[in-house]
Amino acid sequence: MAEAIQKKLQAELEKYQQLQKDVSKSMSARQKLEAQLTENNIVKEELALLDIQNTVYKLIGPVLVKQDLDEAKATVSKRLEYINGEIQRYETLLKEMERKSEQHREVLSSLQQEYQRAQGQAVGKV
Amino acid sequence: MCVSDTLQKMHVHIYRQCISVIITVNYSCIVARKQSLFQHMLSTLPKCIEQAKAYSTVVTVGSLHAVKLLYVKVVKDCRSQFEHWKKVENDYESLQERLRTLPDKLSYDIMVPFGPLAFMPGKLVHTNELTVLLGDNWFAKCSAKQADALVEHRKKHVKNTLDDLQKVMKNFQNRADFTDDLEKLTGDTGDFVDIREEVINEEEVTKAKHRLAHKANSKPKQEYLLDLEEDKEKKEGDEEGTTGVLSEEELWARLDELERQEELQDERYRLDSTDTNGEDTTSSSEEEKEADGGSDVQVNGHQKENGWVPTSITSQMNGTNGSHPEDEEEEDCDEEAGNGLPTIYFSHTAEFKKVRINTGKNTTLKFSERNEQKAQAKRKKKSGKSNGHSPHESYKITSPADIYRVFVDLVNGEPIPRKSILKSRSRENSVCSDTSESSTADFEERRAAFGRSWSHDDATHSDTSDGITEEESPTGTSPHTNGCFEAFTSTVIEKDPLPCSIPHLTIAPPALPTIPERKLEEVGPEAPQEPPKWMSKFKATRLHQK
Repeated sequence: MAEAIQKKLQAELEKYQQLQKDVSKSMSARQKLEAQLTENNIVKEELALLDIQNTVYKLIGPVLVKQDLDEAKATVSKRLEYINGEIQRYETLLKEMERKSEQHREVLSSLQQEYQRAQGQAVGKV
Repeated sequence: MCVSDTLQKMHVHIYRQCISVIITVNYSCIVARKQSLFQHMLSTLPKCIEQAKAYSTVVTVGSLHAVKLLYVKVVKDCRSQFEHWKKVENDYESLQERLRTLPDKLSYDIMVPFGPLAFMPGKLVHTNELTVLLGDNWFAKCSAKQADALVEHRKKHVKNTLDDLQKVMKNFQNRADFTDDLEKLTGDTGDFVDIREEVINEEEVTKAKHRLAHKANSKPKQEYLLDLEEDKEKKEGDEEGTTGVLSEEELWARLDELERQEELQDERYRLDSTDTNGEDTTSSSEEEKEADGGSDVQVNGHQKENGWVPTSITSQMNGTNGSHPEDEEEEDCDEEAGNGLPTIYFSHTAEFKKVRINTGKNTTLKFSERNEQKAQAKRKKKSGKSNGHSPHESYKITSPADIYRVFVDLVNGEPIPRKSILKSRSRENSVCSDTSESSTADFEERRAAFGRSWSHDDATHSDTSDGITEEESPTGTSPHTNGCFEAFTSTVIEKDPLPCSIPHLTIAPPALPTIPERKLEEVGPEAPQEPPKWMSKFKATRLHQK
């Protein structure tokens, strides 16, 4: 009886650990996105400071490609929107994972209790 | 149980992961170009702040110390980041300087880096044309002045992040300090002293609002802990929430336990003190000491005084002066529950402020605890003493009122205040006794009248004492033959000038009715017998009367 519970406990624990890893991965991805968000915001502001006379280049691989100022501004805005969308997506994903991990935690605690009880009984029997 | 360990490890693991993320980002920034370095740091900083918040969520089971360590860690991290950003700001400053001076010349002769190890002489031309990295692989060709403006704009961002870091640092520093204090309070004695008051007589509940008991007063600190837990992000919050709640419960349990211990200790002390007081009441050789001169009394008084001074000092130190217990009918239990703290046991008697000194026909001496004194009077009658031994008594005089309380005559077994304190006891009942004897009958009604009028007049004193005095004065009149006096801390209307300085102030517990019963011989032993812990004179009296 105790062994069965222990096995169940182990399985549950592994699942929980996996879930936690996923959570951390999503969290780091979200962090990266946030970094990009701030960066692009600054770029947007600085582009606003420039005038049409300044040539804007985009680094694509090893090449600096000339861009139009307005085009650059539009591109940056679009990128910002994209980043925001991604962040939202990750947010929902994280919430979901958090909920699942919570469930797992509850299961784990109940299993743990069962296991302890079983152990107690086993000790009593012995 | 391995599971709980695993869970704990997991939390630690995630915590570590968070840190490692930050660290990797930091390290990567160091090797990157300045621009991207700035970008990276700027972008990771909000996350770092969130991480800092997340740190507060990873609360390891139970101990305050662990929490404090976390806070300290966060503060350290913040500080290192702060250093870093400060450096960035300085770099930008120097860059701006360079930008300002660069267009001064058309070209500069410089040593151009040629690969990683070599330089070669060259010229720096087009000094006003700069290609600026705006971020995210965007470049722009600008003049020096425009670049200057861009740098200025970036510096603004850096300043904002620095301010945020400062705030976070301060916040967590405060938290760390607070957990420190909390730890100290619950553990060590520190400079805190617990002041406890046992409420023995439930009828003596006053009208004044009493403060909440220990536990309630310690709640604010508990609430703080609750707030900390509420701050958590709910990612790992629940697990830690439960453990945090458990730790709080543990704290409560510990507080209860310690409180019980304190009470046990107190019981022990009380038993000891009642023993010593019991001796005083039962001894009956006081009369023999009647003939002793003032010198003896003085000596004893001095001894008494010396013995009591330290305790009075301690009592004063703690703000609950035994001389004015009437004034402080509310508990001052702001301190945390006295778990292991030096405790001062404070107790009230019902002796309130309303006292009029009657040392003759002109003033009255009132006590509020009439019932008690009635009992005392009865006891005295039984013991059949009629001596006035107040100078020999070992009472603690901590207020002028005590003087009048201490120096009373015993006429027919009842304490009667004396007209003049200096008058020697050896004259026995003759000292102003004619005044007191003659006025015994109307003494009481005068006293009662005074009491009532006085209680009406004196609005400044607490309502409680007012109420109780008024209650007791009508009840006390009939059964009382004489001598229920109250401690007096207000105006004294005396026709005869009394000596201001009494060289042999004997320090004695209050409750005059018992004073005459005290023997001189007890004066000596009482001085050394003085309990190590400070006991309020009222409590001592009460115990003595028991």
